[in-house]
Amino acid sequence: MSLSIKFLYLIFYFLFFSSAYSESYVKAGESLVWDSENKRYTANGNVEFKNDKFIAFADKMIANYIEENNSEVFTVIELFDNVIIEFKDEVFTGNYAIYTRDDNIIKLTGDVSIKSPTRILTGYELIADIDNNKRILNSANDEALVEVLLDNNANN
Amino acid sequence: MINLLNKKIINSLIIIFLAIQIFIYIVNQKPLTQNFSQKSITVENFSTIVLSNSGITKISSEKLNRVDENNIYLEGKSYMENKEYKIYGGNIYININEEVSKSDEDVKVINDMGILNAKGFENQDHEGKIIFKGEVNFVIID
Repeated sequence: MSLSIKFLYLIFYFLFFSSAYSESYVKAGESLVWDSENKRYTANGNVEFKNDKFIAFADKMIANYIEENNSEVFTVIELFDNVIIEFKDEVFTGNYAIYTRDDNIIKLTGDVSIKSPTRILTGYELIADIDNNKRILNSANDEALVEVLLDNNANN
Repeated sequence: MINLLNKKIINSLIIIFLAIQIFIYIVNQKPLTQNFSQKSITVENFSTIVLSNSGITKISSEKLNRVDENNIYLEGKSYMENKEYKIYGGNIYININEEVSKSDEDVKVINDMGILNAKGFENQDHEGKIIFKGEVNFVIID
């Protein structure tokens, strides 16, 4: 009996440990500039950013922040060049992306694509509404196309 | 007569010695301050408070070397703290006039956002900017 309690305790401990350490971070390969007067961080070179919503990769990132309850919180994050955003089982790519924390919306422009296990969508602009689970994919103009590739087993 | 002559000689010698001593004292006084300002100073286990653009900054180091009137070199493990950040680094150069501090050694910074590790930094205090060099890992504490 006591052994099973210990075993359960260990499982609970490791679960708690893994969730407690699902940390947010910024990694940069070349440099990071903290501009406290303009309340902005600029990261350069193989940038990797993770928060509780997604992981993003790009060549450059500019993150604006505000001071809230004695801590700094990112409000707007811009990603430049070779942008890849991993959100659950979807991967968004593009040339430029902007994420706003207030509405939890990611807007990508450039050669945009959405890859998921069952489909690939390509276009010029993607608006991903994370809270409402909506994706809007636009073409560059009326003559341009939005391409959709569906897996044979896709049911949506 | 001889005694009188001896007394005069002795008195004259005493006056001459006193005059020489006064001369040496005066001559030594002036260069002392001049030498003091030119000399580089080294202080071990140093700690001080500096008033700069970003307010009061606490500085401490294993060894402080005063390079010249405007430049300080913090040798060994060094620490700088103000209301916005705590910087733990080593071998930091500080230019007091330009309000710039920099280092090419590993640095750890704690601020209101989180904990940052980099391979070096340049703190441009007058512009409120810190440039972290090399690979940077910034863990955000929610």
